[in-house]
Amino acid sequence: MGREPDGSGRIEVSGLTKRFGTVEAVRGLSFAVEPGAVTGFLGPNGSGKTTTLRAILGLVAPTAGSALVEGAPYAELTGPARVVGAVLEAQGAHPARTARRHLQVCASAVGAPEQRVDEVLALVGLIDAADRAAGGYSLGMAQRLALATALLGDPRILVLDEPGNGLDPQGIAWLREFLRGFAHSGRSVLVSSHQLAEIAQTADRLVVISGGTCVYQGPADGLHGRPAVRVRCSDPVRLAEALAARGVLEIDHVADGGLAVAADAVLVGDTALAAGVALYGLVEERADLEAMFLRLTGGGVA
Amino acid sequence: MTTDLLPTAGVLRAEALKALSVRTWWALAIPVGLLAVMVNLFGGLFSSAVAGVGDGLPGILLASLAYALSLTTVFAALHGVVLATAEFRHRTATTTYLLAGRVPTLLAKAAVAAGVGAAYALLAIVLGLLAGLLGQGAAPLPSVGGIVMLSVVGIVVAALWAVLGVALGTVLVNQAGAVVVLLVYVFAAENLVSLILRSGTEEGSAPSAIARLTSFLPANAGDIALYDLPARELGGRFASSIVEGLAGVAGPPPAWGALLVLLVWTGAGLAVAWVVGGRRDVT
Repeated sequence: MGREPDGSGRIEVSGLTKRFGTVEAVRGLSFAVEPGAVTGFLGPNGSGKTTTLRAILGLVAPTAGSALVEGAPYAELTGPARVVGAVLEAQGAHPARTARRHLQVCASAVGAPEQRVDEVLALVGLIDAADRAAGGYSLGMAQRLALATALLGDPRILVLDEPGNGLDPQGIAWLREFLRGFAHSGRSVLVSSHQLAEIAQTADRLVVISGGTCVYQGPADGLHGRPAVRVRCSDPVRLAEALAARGVLEIDHVADGGLAVAADAVLVGDTALAAGVALYGLVEERADLEAMFLRLTGGGVA
Repeated sequence: MTTDLLPTAGVLRAEALKALSVRTWWALAIPVGLLAVMVNLFGGLFSSAVAGVGDGLPGILLASLAYALSLTTVFAALHGVVLATAEFRHRTATTTYLLAGRVPTLLAKAAVAAGVGAAYALLAIVLGLLAGLLGQGAAPLPSVGGIVMLSVVGIVVAALWAVLGVALGTVLVNQAGAVVVLLVYVFAAENLVSLILRSGTEEGSAPSAIARLTSFLPANAGDIALYDLPARELGGRFASSIVEGLAGVAGPPPAWGALLVLLVWTGAGLAVAWVVGGRRDVT
């Protein structure tokens, strides 16, 4: 026991399986979290997100597979609070304790200096409420306190489970900016959500899970599908031939006599000009993110 | 065991701050103080329990102090239970485990609870002595050495019971459940088991091997350790039977042996808490 973190800021989940009794919450899940980016962990309710995050943090023992933080299981890391900060629920403070007292206790536990308490209180905007009992906090304030607690050790990785819950729109916007700033300073963020719209604006990379398994992993842009352009023009056949000559082969004739082309609008426009085809309409379409998410997670018709 | 499993000074300090920043510790100190005062103020009540043995001997005050300490250990254990289970009741265990680790948290809580338990014992002795001097003014005073010896034993027993409380709370997690289990065990279950174990032995005859097991139950062991010294002051060569009567055991070992028994129980409790608490899924 007692393994030095490798300082990489990476999380690596491989073949993670967790059964609770007969329920298989996570099934052979593999993905990685890299520094310098916000990784969105997306999935419907009950898809195994929380179980996965708790396995990463050593709170839940994997049935099979592994979840490594900077090369070691969380429970074996020396000085884990300097490696990972976690916001798992609007939790963590005894209701009778003030936020400042709670943070002082936690700072002592992780060996952070006393002045770090005021720093994190300022970071999350809780200075004014610091001397109130945490039991009287709103959900949004409790979330901020949980984030402040996670930041005490000045960690290289932040793990957040549904942090948007209970936050008002300003709070969500603030959190988004905070997480992007944190990630773009070269650190790692893994943030789960079941709300696609929220995560789409924050995440650089996405891991989408459904029923305990990974259904998509890659850049957030990748989930949008390839671009498609609808074209109305003077001579669809000639344009199609010209596009094919440039290597664009996915071309469909659509009902109104136009074309649907799986290519960039600029390429289509240039090709039409070169081929002497007049363009009457050029509309860029992207596959709807919501529809893509529902299709991936089996939650609706594509 | 590597050093990573031992709580750092910071973790110890954090657990101490947690324990002292909520009301539990002094709320439980109140009954400890009250009981110590009442038991020793009315030492006569106690001497009647000893059925006339050694009336007017210096052992009476020691005996009532020992009885107050025996009650104090229950509150020390209660505090330990509340300390350990509060993390789950208020859903703070996740944060605590993430920040400090499970085993260091368990050991730090055990250390803090032991300290509070020891403080309870000290409180019981100071208040008990004062009340005893007031209420049993006519009785001869016990020797300073006797008081110091009893205090040391009382502090150790209360500290060990506090650690047992932390272990019980860590294993059971549910606060109300753990409190009930503790009280039912100490006040009913162990007495019942002792009764059954002794039932095979005739009055006055040498206790059977099974009856002797009564001395190896944790609450009995603590009581034996506490009553050993006053019994010797009170009863001389009847000391053993006085301890038997007070602790409800047969063939008691000497005080150090009883302390050893309680120490083993405490170690076993911590080990179970270590294994069970270390593997539990915190969801």
